[in-house]
Amino acid sequence: MTRRLVPSQIRKRSSVLSDNVRLYRRTVSTDPGKLNGFPKPLWAWLARHPPPGPFRSHTWRSPLRGPWLTSVFALVLLVGLPVVTVTGLLSYVAYAPQLGTALPTDVGWLHLPIFDWPTRPVWLYRLNQGLHVSLGILLVPVVLAKLWSVIPKLFSWPPARSVAQVVERLSLALLVGSILFEIVTGVLNIQYDYVLGLDFYTAHYYGAWVFIAAFLVHVTLKLPIMVSSLRSRSLRKELRTPLAETRPEPIDIHGLVATDPAPATISRRGLLALVAGGSLAVTAVSLGASLSDNLRGTALLSPRGQSGGDGPNGFPVNKTASTAGIRATDVGPSWRLTLTGAGGPMVLDRAALLAMPQRTAHLPIACVEGWSTTQTWTGVRLADLAAASGVPDPSSARVTSLQIGGLFSEAALTGGQVRDADALLALKVNGVDLSLDHGFPARIIVPALPGVHNTKWVRAIEFRGA
Amino acid sequence: MRRFRAFYGAHPAHMLVLVACFGLAGYAVWHASRGPLPVRMAVFFVAAVIVHDLVAYPTYAAVDRLLATVTARREAQSRTAQRVTVVNHVRVPLVISGLLLLVFGSVIVGGGEATYQRASGLDFAPYLLRWLLITIALFLASALVYLWRRSRA
Repeated sequence: MTRRLVPSQIRKRSSVLSDNVRLYRRTVSTDPGKLNGFPKPLWAWLARHPPPGPFRSHTWRSPLRGPWLTSVFALVLLVGLPVVTVTGLLSYVAYAPQLGTALPTDVGWLHLPIFDWPTRPVWLYRLNQGLHVSLGILLVPVVLAKLWSVIPKLFSWPPARSVAQVVERLSLALLVGSILFEIVTGVLNIQYDYVLGLDFYTAHYYGAWVFIAAFLVHVTLKLPIMVSSLRSRSLRKELRTPLAETRPEPIDIHGLVATDPAPATISRRGLLALVAGGSLAVTAVSLGASLSDNLRGTALLSPRGQSGGDGPNGFPVNKTASTAGIRATDVGPSWRLTLTGAGGPMVLDRAALLAMPQRTAHLPIACVEGWSTTQTWTGVRLADLAAASGVPDPSSARVTSLQIGGLFSEAALTGGQVRDADALLALKVNGVDLSLDHGFPARIIVPALPGVHNTKWVRAIEFRGA
Repeated sequence: MRRFRAFYGAHPAHMLVLVACFGLAGYAVWHASRGPLPVRMAVFFVAAVIVHDLVAYPTYAAVDRLLATVTARREAQSRTAQRVTVVNHVRVPLVISGLLLLVFGSVIVGGGEATYQRASGLDFAPYLLRWLLITIALFLASALVYLWRRSRA
C-alpha cells in the first residue's frame, strides 16, 4: 500500500520546516546564550574567550562565501556522491560475495542485497566502473570547493554550545576524514601507487561505510538549510551578475558570510565556472581510458591512456605473464585443461578445445579501476564445457589459473554466467591466438564480469551441480 | 522534552540520528578490525583533516591573497587595467594546473611506475612533461584572452 500525502499535509510539513528555521533565526539573533546546553558555564566561558587568529570572524574576508554558494556545491555533491557510492557498492556485488570471491570477504551487514550479477547488458560492469571512477574524479574539485566554502565554520567560536554540537562536529570530522580518505585511496589506486601501505579493496570499502554513515547524518541534518538557502537567490540571476555587481550574501545565522568582506576579485559565476572548469579538466585527461579504445590516447594523465602495442593483441594488459609467474613450459605443448564435474576429471589439450564448436563474441572487459577495452574473442562456450563434464545446468564454477599466488589466481562464476551464450573459454582474440600476456593458451571471458575475474592461463575448471 | 533540550542542546531526534551515524561507522571499523587497518585509517582521517585544514588551505589562501595584492597594486597605476583585471587570468590556469597536479600527482612524479610496469609490461608515459605542457598551454591561452579583452576595453 502506498501512502499519499494530501496537499494540506504537504503544506503543513513545509511550514513546520520553515517555522523551525525562523524560530532558530529569532533565537540566535536575540540571545545566543539561550541555545547553550549542559554545562552552561563552560560554553559561556568559552564564548567569552575567543583565541586570536582564525578564530576571530573578521579573519574570513571572502565576499563570496555564504549559505547560497555552499548549497550550490552541496546540491551537486548530493546528486553525484550517491551515484559514486552506489556504483561502488554494486561493484562489490559484481565480485560475487555469495561465492566468496569479493574483497573484503566477510563484511557482515555492510553490503547491498546480494544478487547474481547479470551478464546483460554486456557493458553493465563497464558502465558501472566507468561511472564510479570518472564521476569520482569529476567531483574532487567540487568537494574541495565545498570545503573551501565552509572552512570558517571549522574555526567558529565558541566551538560548541552544547553536547549536541560537540557530537555533530565529531560527525563532521568523520565526514571530511572519510571523503578525503576515499578520494586519496581511489585516486592512488588508479595510478598504481600503493604508498599508503593499505590493502586497497579493504580500505576503500570500509572507508566508504564510514563515509555513508557520516554523509547520511549530514544530509539529514542540513537538507532543510540547503533547500532554504538555494531558494534565497536565483541561480539565473547570479549567472548574469558580473564582478562589478558582485556583493556578499546577507549576514547569515550559520557564520559563513564574512562580517568584514574584502572587495570581490572574482564574481560568483566566475567561481562556479572555475570549479566547473577544474572538474572538466581532471575528467578530460582521464575519461578516454573508460570511453573507447579510439579515445584512449586522450587520457593524457591516466596510466591507462596507453594502448599496449600494435596488432590484434595490442590492447592493455592488467597483469603480465612474467609478473604472474607463468613459465614457458607451463603453457607449451604439455599444457592441459582439467574439467571436473559429474564423474571423473576430463583432460583436454588445446587441439581438442579448438576441435570443439567455436563461438565468437565482441565483448568489453572492464577493470575495477574504470578503464576498459572491447575486443573480439573466439573460443569454446563455457556452457558446452559444462555439458561435456556432465553438469549441463551448473550452479557455479570455479576457475583456477596457472598463476601462483595472488588474489586472483582463482575465481568463481555463477550458474547464470556459465550459461550465457557469450561466456567463453577464449583461445583467440581478433582472429589470432591470445598472446602470452593476454592469457595463452586459454582465458575466461564472460559478459559484464569484473575484469580480474576473467581468469587468464586457465588450468582447471570445476563445474558444480545444483 | 524541554529539559532534554536544555541539557543536550537539540531535539532528541538529532541525538538519534547521530547515534545511528556513530553506530554504523563504529560497526564498519569494528568489522575492519581484523588487521592493522582501523589504526591506519584513524591516523589517516586525522592527518587528512589536519593537512587539508591547517596546511593546504592556508597555503593556497596565502598564495591567492598575495596574487590579489600584487595585481591590485599594479592595476592601481594603470587605467586600462582597471577595466580588465589580470588576477583571474593568473588564478584560473593556476587553479586548474594545481588540481591536475593534486589528482594525478602520483603519475606525474612517477609514484606507481614499478607496479605499473609489472602490471602492464609498459613504461610510464612522460607524465611530468605532459603536465608541464598542459600548464604552459593554460597560461598561454589565458594570456591571449587577457590581451584580447584589453584590446577591446
